[in-house]
Amino acid sequence: MTITEYFNLIWTDYTLRTITLGTAVLGAICGMLGSFAVLRKQSLLGDAISHAALPGIAIAFLITGAKDTNTLLLGALVSGLLGTFWIRGIINKTHLKTDTALGLILSLFFGFGMLLLTFIQKQPNANQAGLDKYLFGQAATLVESDVRLMVIVTGIALFVLLLFWKEFKILLFDADYTKTLGFNTKFIDVLITFFIVLAIVLGLQTVGVVLMSAMLLAPAAAARQWTNKLSTMIFLAAIFGAFSGVFGTAISASQNNLSTGPVIVLVAAVFVAVSFVFSPGRGLLFRQIRFQQNRRDLELQKTLQFMYGIAKTHEDISHPHAIRILNNFHGFTKKTLQKLEEKQWIILSGSQWSLTEEGFQKAKNLYNQSSSND
Amino acid sequence: MTSPQIEIQLIAAIVAIACAIPGVFLVLRKMALISDAISHSILPGIVLGFFITHDLNSPLLILLAALSGVITVILVEAIQKTGLVKEDTAIGLVFPALFSIGVILIAKNANDVHLDVDAVLLGELAFAPFDRLLLGGIDMGPKSLWIMGIILVAIIALLLLFYKELKVSTFDIGLSSALGISPVIMHYGLMSVSSVTIVGAFDAVGAILVVALMIAPAATAYLLTSDLKKMLLLSVFIGVFSAIAGYWMANLLDASISGSMTTMLGIVFLGVYLFAPRKGLIAVLYRQKQQRTEVSLLTFLLHLNNHSEAEERHINHLQEHINWQRVRSRTVLNLALKNNMIEIQDDLVSLTDKGKEFTDLAIEYIITNKDEKIEPMKDDFFLFRG
Repeated sequence: MTITEYFNLIWTDYTLRTITLGTAVLGAICGMLGSFAVLRKQSLLGDAISHAALPGIAIAFLITGAKDTNTLLLGALVSGLLGTFWIRGIINKTHLKTDTALGLILSLFFGFGMLLLTFIQKQPNANQAGLDKYLFGQAATLVESDVRLMVIVTGIALFVLLLFWKEFKILLFDADYTKTLGFNTKFIDVLITFFIVLAIVLGLQTVGVVLMSAMLLAPAAAARQWTNKLSTMIFLAAIFGAFSGVFGTAISASQNNLSTGPVIVLVAAVFVAVSFVFSPGRGLLFRQIRFQQNRRDLELQKTLQFMYGIAKTHEDISHPHAIRILNNFHGFTKKTLQKLEEKQWIILSGSQWSLTEEGFQKAKNLYNQSSSND
Repeated sequence: MTSPQIEIQLIAAIVAIACAIPGVFLVLRKMALISDAISHSILPGIVLGFFITHDLNSPLLILLAALSGVITVILVEAIQKTGLVKEDTAIGLVFPALFSIGVILIAKNANDVHLDVDAVLLGELAFAPFDRLLLGGIDMGPKSLWIMGIILVAIIALLLLFYKELKVSTFDIGLSSALGISPVIMHYGLMSVSSVTIVGAFDAVGAILVVALMIAPAATAYLLTSDLKKMLLLSVFIGVFSAIAGYWMANLLDASISGSMTTMLGIVFLGVYLFAPRKGLIAVLYRQKQQRTEVSLLTFLLHLNNHSEAEERHINHLQEHINWQRVRSRTVLNLALKNNMIEIQDDLVSLTDKGKEFTDLAIEYIITNKDEKIEPMKDDFFLFRG
């Protein structure tokens, strides 16, 4: 199946439509809530939570014996939240640092989850096949009810986001100020964390424990490069996330043996790479261009300044001088000379240059003007 | 015990020691999560190495995989240096991408390759004794035992050789540069050693549980001591203990060995986290409560010192005046009485000489901004603590 075929089939084929819709919605909600995780410098919290959710899935299965997605996700949610609050407990109450706490909870919960999974496997009544799909995710197992759940959660998240927009925003950028204003910071904090955990748990089925953190981070990190405004960033991140989902599904569906999760993550990584390089404000490419332009301007001004220094000792400012006396040190190259002539600040004739009236004035006011030019 | 059982425990113990030593430095340098990143992003290296060698235990594969671990570190630092995102975001972006490449490489070649992601991520110690090293037809024991053994010897040798340098560059980067010990070399040295260890161990315990073996013993030991040498020894001990105990737990439950080793580590950490003598949760909560009472005591004494009028010092008025709950005021009052700081006559509270002396000294320290001297002062007065 080629990609064009895929986009034709998407309107008619039930499975494809469901999966595409699911990954798109997932990408959107992850991008939306991931923005908060990135800005709160909790990027790796997602990684820890997604791993911490594993024992919850296993325990939910052990208790109910059902493979109903919602039950399992509820278990994941509980153990994800448990992990999150334990991380906080470690950071707040002991001298262990954030990274250690995250790594600890991540690996310990995951190990415990693996113990439970292998334990379940050995049970006689185990129809557990399918539990391990939460490890790497299988977008193909998405059914309409899963997608409906995702849409509902996204809707609720969006509603809460709009309802508490001002609180979320102020807590994000100035926690102390929020406290002095009398907001219940603990409540807002728990609320936003709860939704981040919820988004992660929703994604487990599709992209799996290991790659979930990238779903959360990548769209937000990409969106961050294009804007300095929170609302725009969240909007962009949701769009990037949704597109990563759709493109990832399309690519993986058009080839054999390509699991969806990793492809989605790679597509998101491409979004990030492109944003890093090409974003106009912060991107590496434009930063480099600006850098070089500034340097050229500076060299130009240096040459002009030097010319001014010579010219002002003469009565006639346009008295010609030899080009020979300029050197590299004064920022002089053939190009700068041409540029100066283009701007009509000097006149070149043969191997001589002379300052024009305009150039003289320009050089005289160079340092007065430079502040107003910026 | 059968001989494979002994071999498995031996491998587990060696892996635990080999992981614990670099783990201590990672935890102290606040780079614990780098181990998580490396453990995931070695996957493409392993897959490529496997295409070439077709042997999960070949040294070339280990080198290639370790190289991809070091590349991860370099990539993370390069992204971080652009200033576009924070360090943790950089880590979170790099390793899932590399891991995805690895997964896709495996999936695309699933038919030719005898390697699956579960095996790499989760490992299976139980199979380790079956892959034996044959030298000229003689059975020399399990291959992974040899590999991890060599890595462990190298780690210990490096640790002994560079102990001083590691210590200085971990705790004081400025001093270490001034002494001519390059922090960059130390950093990349540690990263390389960690990569090699993780790669060597992933086969036995899996990529994610390697992280547990690196971080958990070190973190647990850090709660128990502040001495680097003791911390190293303790984390080695905790690692080995959890490895052996985990093995027997797995035997009992008939479940994954690496999973139960991690669970064991988790149980040990939980115990220490709760009950560690000075840095554990209970100790910290108790100390915080104690300090809260003592601050209240000081406030109370200052209040008494400020007021000579009777109504301000009446025992029933104190509650409403300083705005304390009943229990709180009784605790503070009792503590003050027990310390002979106050005396009560006709329901009027007044400072004793000792109380007066204590309060004056405290005021002296507070107004000269030497708050930190109040803590030792409590010992000087042989205070009964709150």
